[in-house]
Amino acid sequence: MGDSGGAWHLSCTVNGEPVEAEVDPRITLLTFLREHLLLTGTKGACLEGECGSCTVIVDGRPINSCLMLAGQAQGCSIQTIEGIGDDKKLHALQKHFIATGAAQCGYCTPGLIMAAKAMLDANPSPTEQEFTTAIEANICRCTGYESIRQAIRDAYREIHG
Amino acid sequence: MFYQPTDMAEALRLRAELGPEVVTVCGGTDVVVAMNHGVARPEAFLDLSRVAGRDSVERVNGIYLLGGGVTFAQMAKLPVRALAEAARSVGGPQIRNVGTIAGNLGTASPAGDGSVALLALDAEVELSHVERGSRWVRLEEFFLDYKRTALQPDELITRVRFPSDFESVWYKIGKRGAVNISIVCCAIGRSPAGAYRIALGSVGPVPMRAMEAEAVLNGDSTDAAHRAVAYLADEVIERAAEAAELEAAPIDDQRSSARYREAMCRVLVRRLLRELRDG
Repeated sequence: MGDSGGAWHLSCTVNGEPVEAEVDPRITLLTFLREHLLLTGTKGACLEGECGSCTVIVDGRPINSCLMLAGQAQGCSIQTIEGIGDDKKLHALQKHFIATGAAQCGYCTPGLIMAAKAMLDANPSPTEQEFTTAIEANICRCTGYESIRQAIRDAYREIHG
Repeated sequence: MFYQPTDMAEALRLRAELGPEVVTVCGGTDVVVAMNHGVARPEAFLDLSRVAGRDSVERVNGIYLLGGGVTFAQMAKLPVRALAEAARSVGGPQIRNVGTIAGNLGTASPAGDGSVALLALDAEVELSHVERGSRWVRLEEFFLDYKRTALQPDELITRVRFPSDFESVWYKIGKRGAVNISIVCCAIGRSPAGAYRIALGSVGPVPMRAMEAEAVLNGDSTDAAHRAVAYLADEVIERAAEAAELEAAPIDDQRSSARYREAMCRVLVRRLLRELRDG
């Protein structure tokens, strides 16, 4: 890939759908998702990698979308909160976040669910420490985390029977 | 402008041709933070995230050779205790998945955990230029001053190497369990010949070696009999720990007072030397 002035042709996959867009590659992936694709489920808060609210899954790994440049998503497969379930069929994590009261103000919830999902997708038998580590960089100021951890454990049990 | 080379030769050519206003980026965990906060407004980027082989980890003839794009997540899995523990202490999974060792070294923060661990492991960094070729620089000579390094604007950090046979230990004092910037961190490495290297983070303008403390342990390096390798007596450990406290040169800032940091240098050096002794 060579140089480019101004707009770039970005090809990537978002929630399983191919995306072709002319964008400035210097904007963040967070801005691209929210303002170009109007996928506003992904939140921005600290914009410095401290809070985790912008977490999405890129090629199977959780990352902070506020710290990835749109150009760096070239050719990548991106999964956001909009891609994992909907009103008719919630993802197990969404269902159990509701059931345990793990979402209160809800701002951190999409990031927490994506961080947890990345771990559950990659790890068929997480230890207690791995449940904690998966969300160690996601800040919630409402719940105190115990209901969140419970929701993730419950989702794990549902997914793995 | 956004340059995204896929091989190192092309990356080096671009780095040499483009001016310093084109910012090198890979994980983005320093560069994009500065951009988001309006501290930096880069007009153009040289993105190294697609350069083939930059995340390679090799162990050849007793030497670890890491590509500059090796991430903290990768380093956390290496059987090199100080470096793995330092890597695990950085950020959270999201940061560790993208943050790289070349970025950690290039940013040259005094609180760079990976840099402190590598300093204790007697690491060297490879700085490469498309025409001048590569030069290996010891970390002591790489860190020049606060966030200033020996890297020239037309060079890239291409690899890092260090001996694979050091024992090492690590401890970091921070305010919480994750996404935790060091208040003080310390790494100690011990070579098979019994020479100690003590590195401290967040107690000076650059990651620093505690040379006075090392001298207490290593003595005259030509006289192996004087080395404390066989047995680190409590009294020897205490003298080394005191020397570390005296030679640390921290400042007061929002994370801690200078005095606390000095005191913690003594505590960490004492604790880690005992750990090396007692296993």
